[in-house]
Amino acid sequence: MTRRILTALALVCALAAPPLAADEDGPGPVVVRDPHYGEVLFHFYKGDYFSAIVRLSAAQEREQLTHHDDEAELLRGGLALSYGQHDEAHKIFRNLLDGNTAPEVRDRTWFFLAKIRYQRGFVDAAADALASIGDELPKDLEPERRMLQSQVYIEQERFDEAIELLDGWRGPAGWVDYARFNLGVALVRKGEFAEGANWLDRVGRLTDDRPEMLGLRDKANVALGYTWLQNEQPARARPILQRVRLNGPFSNKALLGVGWADSDRGNYRAALTPWTELSDRNLLDAAVQESLLAVPYALGKLDATRQAAARYEDAIVAFANEQQRIEDAIAGIESGEMINRLLENTAESEAIGWYWRLDAMPDATESRYLYLLMAGHRFQEALKNYRDVLELRNNLLEWKDKVSVFQAMIDTRKAGYTERLPRIEAGLEAADIDAIRARQAKLEARLNRIESERDLFALASKRERQLVEELDLAAEHPTFALSAPEVDDARRRLELMRGVLQWRAEKDFDARVWRQRKLLRETTRAIALAERARLAVDDTRINEPSRLVDFDHRVIQLSPRIDAKIADLELSLAAQRAYLHGLAIEALREQQRRLDTYTVQARFALAAVYDRATAARNDAESPEAAQ
Amino acid sequence: MTRGLERMMKRLFGVLASVALLAVPAAADDDMARALDSEVADLKKEVLALNRELFLLEEELLFPANSQVALFVSMDVGDFFALDAVQVKIDGKEVANYLYSEREVEALIRGGVHRIHVDNLKSGDHEIVAFFTGTGPQGRDYKRGAELTFEKGLGAKYMELRISDRQSKLQPEFFISEWE
Repeated sequence: MTRRILTALALVCALAAPPLAADEDGPGPVVVRDPHYGEVLFHFYKGDYFSAIVRLSAAQEREQLTHHDDEAELLRGGLALSYGQHDEAHKIFRNLLDGNTAPEVRDRTWFFLAKIRYQRGFVDAAADALASIGDELPKDLEPERRMLQSQVYIEQERFDEAIELLDGWRGPAGWVDYARFNLGVALVRKGEFAEGANWLDRVGRLTDDRPEMLGLRDKANVALGYTWLQNEQPARARPILQRVRLNGPFSNKALLGVGWADSDRGNYRAALTPWTELSDRNLLDAAVQESLLAVPYALGKLDATRQAAARYEDAIVAFANEQQRIEDAIAGIESGEMINRLLENTAESEAIGWYWRLDAMPDATESRYLYLLMAGHRFQEALKNYRDVLELRNNLLEWKDKVSVFQAMIDTRKAGYTERLPRIEAGLEAADIDAIRARQAKLEARLNRIESERDLFALASKRERQLVEELDLAAEHPTFALSAPEVDDARRRLELMRGVLQWRAEKDFDARVWRQRKLLRETTRAIALAERARLAVDDTRINEPSRLVDFDHRVIQLSPRIDAKIADLELSLAAQRAYLHGLAIEALREQQRRLDTYTVQARFALAAVYDRATAARNDAESPEAAQ
Repeated sequence: MTRGLERMMKRLFGVLASVALLAVPAAADDDMARALDSEVADLKKEVLALNRELFLLEEELLFPANSQVALFVSMDVGDFFALDAVQVKIDGKEVANYLYSEREVEALIRGGVHRIHVDNLKSGDHEIVAFFTGTGPQGRDYKRGAELTFEKGLGAKYMELRISDRQSKLQPEFFISEWE
């Protein structure tokens, strides 16, 4: 039993695993004993969680999952998790996780619940679930649990606990590096820079070239490099930041930092190299925007006043253009088209639920900026919710149409029933199955007698019976009482003919009895079918009116509920649209505010450059200088 | 470059560095997000409950238990046969012709069961013929049939169209049977 539940749990939770934790072998195929359970699994594995939940709850209500009762409830919990109903999942699991549950099942369940809560952004709730895990978590999940726990501690700023959990831990390759990274982060955020830097440095020197490990390495190096810069140790920051790949997602930050490491040491010429490279990149990135100011700053320091002034002017123009693009994007969002465009870009067949990720960017003015939003957990979650609710509304709109068809069907059935009833009743009266059955019983009794008495000619053909009768009659003729050679000869011939007929009847008797028995069996079957059909007709005749009334009643009470729910969904969609627009616009306004600051700084710097240039010219033209 | 600008730029580092150090997603901590999340969870629950009722109504109305026959496609390991499509005929009439996506085949292999067709049939004998199309051993196109005559009585009848690997012959096998 426990084993079956564990298999069910494994399959439920397999989807929740991050790349590193994915079980290569995966759970084996499930042995399905009830077809409806298999059907639920089919939808679940397809990623169609909504249909899976509907079918599962319908099958449970009809008691069609007798062989899978416990697994079914666990699967329902897992489906609720997959469909983003983590509170519902929690309730189901809590009911399942009573005192009798095996500790290993209980611990695994709490672990997966914690994981999904954390991914949803509910850190405190994840911490509660983690705290419920006992000592029975299987070894293969232990590294992941430790990592999750440490991340929760770091988010809750419980750095000491995170450090205690990770320090000295020896786990499988890959996980150890994540642990070192988290340990480094916890130490740095606690203020223990030297020790934290030591751990981050180890991760920053990883030689593992798997993509996720390269990403971790870059992240560690950026984090460490900036930590040194903040601690005013540019010489230590530079080589660390130079380890970051030039084409990775952290390269902009790294280039900016390398430039600052050089400039902090007064090496402005060297700083120009990374900053100039950076200034040609996409202006959406804050690091790139910053480089537009950093380049003229370095040029100014190198006394290249004209170039510095020109670069500041270029930056002011670039910032102004960017501001205008953002304004256009905000107008696009306010027109309400953003969400529709975002959703158009996701495949219809794609599963809904919280695993949904927005991968493709729509081609629109505002889409340049959407990556800023996409990076935000809140926006992603809100967009997923919006899409789920949209699907719910579409689902109910389809049902609304169907239910009106159901109503028409019920009306047609009612009319058909009233019209056909008299004919059916007349037919039933004519078909007296009891009389047929009595006749069949009589036939069977007769056959039994024939067989037991070996009444040879009872089953003979009509012609044979006629012949026998004629021969027997002839034998009784008075002539045969005489004694004469001719009569004796005729009697012998008569007896011979009678003997031949008797022999033939004897020979065919068993076959004839068998044939009759077979016919009787067929008749029995035909009567059984007729009786079954009659039962069905009787059932229909008697129960159809109440069934139709029941259907009618259900349709009548479902219709307004569908309408009311559609209205609720519309309201919810409007609220979520407003929330998404608000998030998007706020993110863009934030970008604008940053550009405003940069623009002001650029103008000040430009004015300062002009002032210096004017002062220098004045100095050069002054009488003292002329002398 | 003014000192103010320098200070401002340095301050930006703080932002970038903390972004770099945040190894974890931000918590959904604002009230609005929580309220909407909770509202969506409630709506999902209510619409699911409504769907369950509608699903049951539809099944009972369209396929009453007395006449219902449901056909399910199942598959075990799938080493010797990669399924593309299944065509089904009942009493000589085509009732289903289903093309499977990769994801659906994977779902079948993992133990899922696909209800390919549901019908209403009269009591008595009926014949099912199924054709399975796909790629067989050595990557060859493969099409095989299976058939079964069954008796439909009172009560719903569930039939299984099963694709199975026969290890001894390194060949796939195809069966139709009644789901007990």
